[in-house]
Amino acid sequence: MATEPLERARQEFLAALTEAGCDPARVEAVRVRFAGRRSGLLRELEDALKALPREAKPGYGKALNELKTLVEERLAAAQRAAEDAGIQRQVLDVTLPGRRPVTGALHPVTLVRREIEEIFLRMGYSVADGPEVEDDWHNFGALNMPPDHPARDTQDTFFLKDGLLLRTHTSPVQIRSMETMPLPIRLIIPGRVYRRDSDLRHSPMFHQVEGLVVGEGITFGNLKATLEAFVHVLFDPRLAVRFRPSFFPFTEPSAEVDITCVLCLGAGCGMCSGSGWIEILGAGMVDPRVLSACKLDPERVSGFAFGCGLDRVALLKYRLPDLRLLFSGDERLLRQFEGVAR
Amino acid sequence: MKLSLAWLRDHLEGAPSADELAKRLTACGMNVEVREPAGPDEIWDVDVTTNRPDAMNHRGLAREAVAAACGTLKPLAINITEGATPVGTLARLTVEDAQGCPRYCARVVRGVKVGPSPAWLVERLQRCGVRPINNVVDATNCVLLDVGHPLHAFDLAFLKGQEIRVRRAHAGEPITTLDGVERKLTADDLVIADASRAVAVAGVMGAANSEIAPSTKDVLIESAYFDARSVRLTARRLGLKTEASHRFERGADRAMARTAVDLAAELIVRLAGGEVAAGVLDSNPDLPAPHEIPFSLSRLSAFVGCEIPRELTLRVLTALELAPRIVGDAVTCTVPTHRVDLELAEDLYEEVLRHFGYENVPSVLPSAAMKPGARLGTWPLTERGRDALTAVGAAEAFTYAFVSEEIEAATAGSPLADRGAVVALDNPLSARMAVMRRSLLAGLAEAAGGNLRRGAERVLLGEVGRVFFEKGGKVAEEERLAVAVAGAVGPWDALRQADFLDLKGVVEAVLAELGVSGTAWRHATAPVLAAGEQAEVVRDGCVIAIAGRLADAVSTVFDIPATLWVAEIDLTAAVAAASVPTFEPLPRFPAVTADLTVRHKLTLPYDQLVAAITAAAPEWLEAVSPVVRYRGEGVASDEVKTTVRLTYRHGERSLTQDEVNAAHFALMDRLGRELAVSFS
Repeated sequence: MATEPLERARQEFLAALTEAGCDPARVEAVRVRFAGRRSGLLRELEDALKALPREAKPGYGKALNELKTLVEERLAAAQRAAEDAGIQRQVLDVTLPGRRPVTGALHPVTLVRREIEEIFLRMGYSVADGPEVEDDWHNFGALNMPPDHPARDTQDTFFLKDGLLLRTHTSPVQIRSMETMPLPIRLIIPGRVYRRDSDLRHSPMFHQVEGLVVGEGITFGNLKATLEAFVHVLFDPRLAVRFRPSFFPFTEPSAEVDITCVLCLGAGCGMCSGSGWIEILGAGMVDPRVLSACKLDPERVSGFAFGCGLDRVALLKYRLPDLRLLFSGDERLLRQFEGVAR
Repeated sequence: MKLSLAWLRDHLEGAPSADELAKRLTACGMNVEVREPAGPDEIWDVDVTTNRPDAMNHRGLAREAVAAACGTLKPLAINITEGATPVGTLARLTVEDAQGCPRYCARVVRGVKVGPSPAWLVERLQRCGVRPINNVVDATNCVLLDVGHPLHAFDLAFLKGQEIRVRRAHAGEPITTLDGVERKLTADDLVIADASRAVAVAGVMGAANSEIAPSTKDVLIESAYFDARSVRLTARRLGLKTEASHRFERGADRAMARTAVDLAAELIVRLAGGEVAAGVLDSNPDLPAPHEIPFSLSRLSAFVGCEIPRELTLRVLTALELAPRIVGDAVTCTVPTHRVDLELAEDLYEEVLRHFGYENVPSVLPSAAMKPGARLGTWPLTERGRDALTAVGAAEAFTYAFVSEEIEAATAGSPLADRGAVVALDNPLSARMAVMRRSLLAGLAEAAGGNLRRGAERVLLGEVGRVFFEKGGKVAEEERLAVAVAGAVGPWDALRQADFLDLKGVVEAVLAELGVSGTAWRHATAPVLAAGEQAEVVRDGCVIAIAGRLADAVSTVFDIPATLWVAEIDLTAAVAAASVPTFEPLPRFPAVTADLTVRHKLTLPYDQLVAAITAAAPEWLEAVSPVVRYRGEGVASDEVKTTVRLTYRHGERSLTQDEVNAAHFALMDRLGRELAVSFS
């Protein structure tokens, strides 16, 4: 058909105009290309009319006129739109700060606590709590630390009246849970604890999280697998987890658990004192004396327990330099963690 | 514990390289933390856990090394040559308190020449962090570091009556210990005494009155076994921690008391000359029947979660001198006197497992019936509170639960804080942390003040935590939520400072997030807040929150440089009132709105105005909402113009403009008459 070039020109024009958008310079470029007086495409198509055979001329001429009208109208509209946009741009400054609703920020320790809780909730653990003011039995006695036990020295205790004290660890909640809950027990126990100690790495009030699993046939291998899964989800699946024999009065056998340094991935750096390892958890099989203290039969049931400092995990995860910053209530610090998923 | 590698090797036959030795000891729980070269020797710092006093010396650690497949233990050689004079003719021993001192051994060496120790001994002591004193004292310290038994050397000439009496001190009995401090003892303290006075605090420290001096000729060597608890109580009461007390508190070796005194006598003769008197003074040579622990090999494997080889079990237990006897699956061990930590089968599982290697246990997740986990106790409540805080834009702060008495008292003047007596710490770290808070405002106001002093233009802080009360001799803990608001309200509104309505809005939003409705706000008189600028929030006749401007007197205590708006919510009481919403049908007919501007006295509260409007309007008045309040030019100083928007909507049909107009004007007429207000 003779009008084929016209149809092609129409499509090219519409495409070019769409692409030019509201940019005045690009709209002008489209105008010159298609409707330019000297060398525009319309001019060329007009010239082509002369060379056509007579019988083709009327059809071609009509289609050419329709194309001209379309080009004029669409160009005019595009020029107007480009002009309006220009004016609008002068009025609206999109770089002005927005009238933003204030967003809240959870404390870094709350963030890591929830992250840890979620990991264990998904594995079927419940989250337990207990009193912060405790008695001697739940904080020490039932945990195989009778009066005058040397291990009490390492847990400098704040005492209140009448033999009460501020709990030095979240372990009394283990005792309270074993005293009252049906087996099997799977618990995660976060909470606030207190020790008479204050320096760069110690705060008299801090936070722990402990885990407790008690039931029939619980093994040391179960403990290892659980802590490996935990560390890999919380930090990084590439981290190695190392169990070293250790001693706690309430577990037997006991272990200190190290992970590959999260900062240098084992190469050695300032955070891990060049060792490539970071000590992060204490763990072990629940001591039979503790099970007996809770009226459970160590011949029938066994269990494992582990614990770590929540504040320390927050320090590691968010690279905070000083534990005491966590208790400063400084909004400049607290609001740095607004964007952390919770 | 610091020790010398060369010394450790002295006890081992066929030990591997230093690297291998350190690696294997660390793997079995004797963590070699630091290795420091010292000439041909190395100084090791080994972290021996507190339950293993038997390993806090070279021979004890060598025994562990043997169990960790690092060679065999050399026998302990004792070559003692005794003179003719029986020790009984030179000194007498009486133990009056056999409970505090189950065994007391002593030997006498006569004719020593006190002087400096030879270089090899000085070096060894120094490598282990012990200060050399003289050859006699150094000999006792050398035996301590070698086999772990604490000894003491007396100058026999200063023991009045040539006598040793082990007895409880007289109440108030004075003693000047070797550190030059005069101490007063109690009747609970065990002492070593001569015929007339105390010459040592048993198991803790000797006295200056009988110490080895350059002039000493005859020495009495004490090698005793004291009760751990007795030593611990005395050492703690005197605030005196020594190498001896550290070991006795954790449990000494009753059999070693005799061996150690022989080793010391032999070494003293070697270093200082003299002659060992014949025989030993020994208050009680009999050892109690050894403790036996049976266990089953199959239970050990089941406990660990993998098969533990029988040969390894036997090898480890034998190396640890536990004398395992095996019949089929059953093993019986005899606990040697140096292992005070072994009591139950699980204690033996640990011995085997740590030498089997924790790293060799396969990791297997526990299997249990699938049961969904849940947040228990107060966690659902406090977590909801934290979510509410972030929903209103607060930054969550953690502040200390203990504060100074002054701050506690300043913030306790409120119906929420006045629910019991203050709980005081018996042994606070400082006066700034002396008592438990009864209000979260104690910490939060301080934190807000800190932010303002640092130049913060705005503060929006929140905290969820516990407060503590003493009620009838018991301590009660309650969960609270608090917020603190101060400064500029927001971007592009920097000139407007937060006021009561900003605080109220925050509290209303928190309560809405907690699912609490049906609350009423009324004036309150809590001393912690400024008079006339505070309210309490009441639901069902119960105060669930207070809110207002922090009183000037309290603000001064915290040195807060700006106006601070604070609120505290009793989380338990608030959430007890929460309800789960149920669906209400959406309106089917359009609403007609009309604004109403009322000029009225300031004394007319907004809730009464709304109540009057509601009473005067037809029942199809759906809502009254605030638009603007105006005071200033054209309005008398005791008046205000309040504009509200009335939304009319009928549940069954569309309203016409005419009927709305008629109702609206009738309402204005009635308001004008009843409230004496005008509409211009």
